[in-house]
Amino acid sequence: MTATAPPAEKAAERTQESASPGALRAWLGRHPLAAYAIRRFGLYLVELWGALTIAFFFFRLMPGDPIQTLIQTLQQNYIYNQQASTELIARYRAEFGLDGNLFVQYLKYMEKLVLHGDMGPSLISYPTPAQDVILRSLPWTIGLLGISAVLSWIFGIVIGAIAGWRREKIGARIATNLSIALSHVPYFFVALILVYIFAYSLGMLPARSAYDSSITPGITPEFIGSVLKYGLLPGLSIVLIGTFSWILSTRMLMIPVLGEDYLLYAEAKGLKGSRILTRYALRNCYLPQVTAFGISLGFIFNGNVLVEQLFNYPGLGTTLVTAIQQLDFNTILGVTNIAIFSVLTAVLILDLLLPLLDPRVKYWK
Amino acid sequence: MRLLSAVLRTIRNSRRLAIGLVTLGMLVLLAVLSPLITKLIGGGIDPVELAAYERWLVPSPQHLLGTDQFGRDVFAMVIKALAVSLQIGAIAGVISTVVGVIVAFVAGYKGGWVDGVLSTFTGVLLVIPTFPLLIALSAYAKNVSLFQVGVMISIFAWPFAAKTIRSQVLSLRTRPYVDLARVSKSRDLEIIVTELLPNLLPFIGVGFASSALGAIFGLVGLEIIGLGPGGVIDLGQIIFNAINTGALTLGAWPMFAVPIILLTLLFAALNMINIGLEEVYNPRLRGVAGE
Repeated sequence: MTATAPPAEKAAERTQESASPGALRAWLGRHPLAAYAIRRFGLYLVELWGALTIAFFFFRLMPGDPIQTLIQTLQQNYIYNQQASTELIARYRAEFGLDGNLFVQYLKYMEKLVLHGDMGPSLISYPTPAQDVILRSLPWTIGLLGISAVLSWIFGIVIGAIAGWRREKIGARIATNLSIALSHVPYFFVALILVYIFAYSLGMLPARSAYDSSITPGITPEFIGSVLKYGLLPGLSIVLIGTFSWILSTRMLMIPVLGEDYLLYAEAKGLKGSRILTRYALRNCYLPQVTAFGISLGFIFNGNVLVEQLFNYPGLGTTLVTAIQQLDFNTILGVTNIAIFSVLTAVLILDLLLPLLDPRVKYWK
Repeated sequence: MRLLSAVLRTIRNSRRLAIGLVTLGMLVLLAVLSPLITKLIGGGIDPVELAAYERWLVPSPQHLLGTDQFGRDVFAMVIKALAVSLQIGAIAGVISTVVGVIVAFVAGYKGGWVDGVLSTFTGVLLVIPTFPLLIALSAYAKNVSLFQVGVMISIFAWPFAAKTIRSQVLSLRTRPYVDLARVSKSRDLEIIVTELLPNLLPFIGVGFASSALGAIFGLVGLEIIGLGPGGVIDLGQIIFNAINTGALTLGAWPMFAVPIILLTLLFAALNMINIGLEEVYNPRLRGVAGE
């Protein structure tokens, strides 16, 4: 555990301190925000290291020997017609970082990852590096989930604000109760029902793959149209359910604000309802929603395994499932590490930004 | 006794909670009665036995939801599967809530470095994407019992419960009545059980409902990508079969619609309980809403 980032960071801090201990402490005392930022960044590195480590050991404990699987696949494809030699197996093991004991493997893996950003070769598409395999599927996941996340956030905030503001109206009640009932239903269910209706019963929309395979990928109107058409059903299923949970949380944040005196005052001033809603009420509950949105953007990099599987969408989720079935450790870990990194980084950025956005937020004393 | 009255008071105060509990209760009843129902449907033969009937029968009075690709009665299968899904939810919910409560109390009540270490650890577990880990764990799960699957799933469910409960412990332990109990020389365990626990009941309930929800969905997800444990039929597996055998194109819609409807009802009921409990705990949400 010596070659990882956090100890290195601490060492750097220590050398700085020893150079001018008194001056630095005094400076930090005068700049609480900077002191907070350094502490927060240190925690971030610790969390990152911890999560990456847990993920590494967890996946290495999976039963099965990936090298044997690989060699069997190669033999089935008549690349070798004899038993693989021990020498060959040893070479593959070294290549994939599977030689030596678990701890040595861990150190080597972390060294390559941290110092070179190298995730090792992918087993499924050897000798392509795992990071290239991941980079290929990343745009699809980001495109599909990113657009869906933004849309459901916007819809959810608008509908949720109105549902809280006009909570006695029948429409608001329906929206609220529907959200309570459906906000925890998996996206996958909606996707399945949409597929049944629009793809099988009506035959209107395609239900598999990400674009029409007869069109060559490129920045042409045809290709983009095809991508949009193929992304419509998976996107719609995510937007539908996602919107419900944003409605619910926005409404929950709105309602306590509605009892506040400054809203009564705004009303007494004779301001228009819509102005009070957007400038006074919503303004006071947008911050938690921005935070939650940032975190949900981080979670995009988890992919959406089930929806991607159902639509055979070439995103991170599909890559991950294939990798797990083939025991492609480097790719599995790569996908997981990207997910961990993005969520933690999103949280870090938000924690550092929020004090600047809202003067009421103070993490330091 | 005190716990019981706290529970009753909580239910009386929230309509949502009551609706959720009633729905959940009906589903549980259906699951508990599942051996009886399947016997009734079969009338002598086991309706979920392979080739008990003809294959792909359309819904009719004899087979309310038709039969599947192996000639099993879909209605009987769905009822049986519902029982399995509920069991997984209950097992994983109980385990992760118990672990979550213990971690939350140790962290929140002890404070200091214990809290620091435990909270960082929970936080770290929370950011590791659970579904890949679950897929990986399912590699072990080909021949395991239902209980073991429940244990596996709860490994990933407890950090969430721990986090929600810990923040409440933190706010409660500085309340005057806790200080009073401490001054009157009650032991820590006594304070936790008699003073803190009853007040945290809604949050423990939220933790349980969320963990159960996550566990049921976790297993459904595994089944759907064909990686579920062998030997058990849960609702996810029926959906998986429906997709894989082309039931969608054959028009055998009950095979995926009914499990989805049942699971949606279950998710809705658990979520109602969740929100109902939150409203009870935070009266501001309820009072202004006027409901």
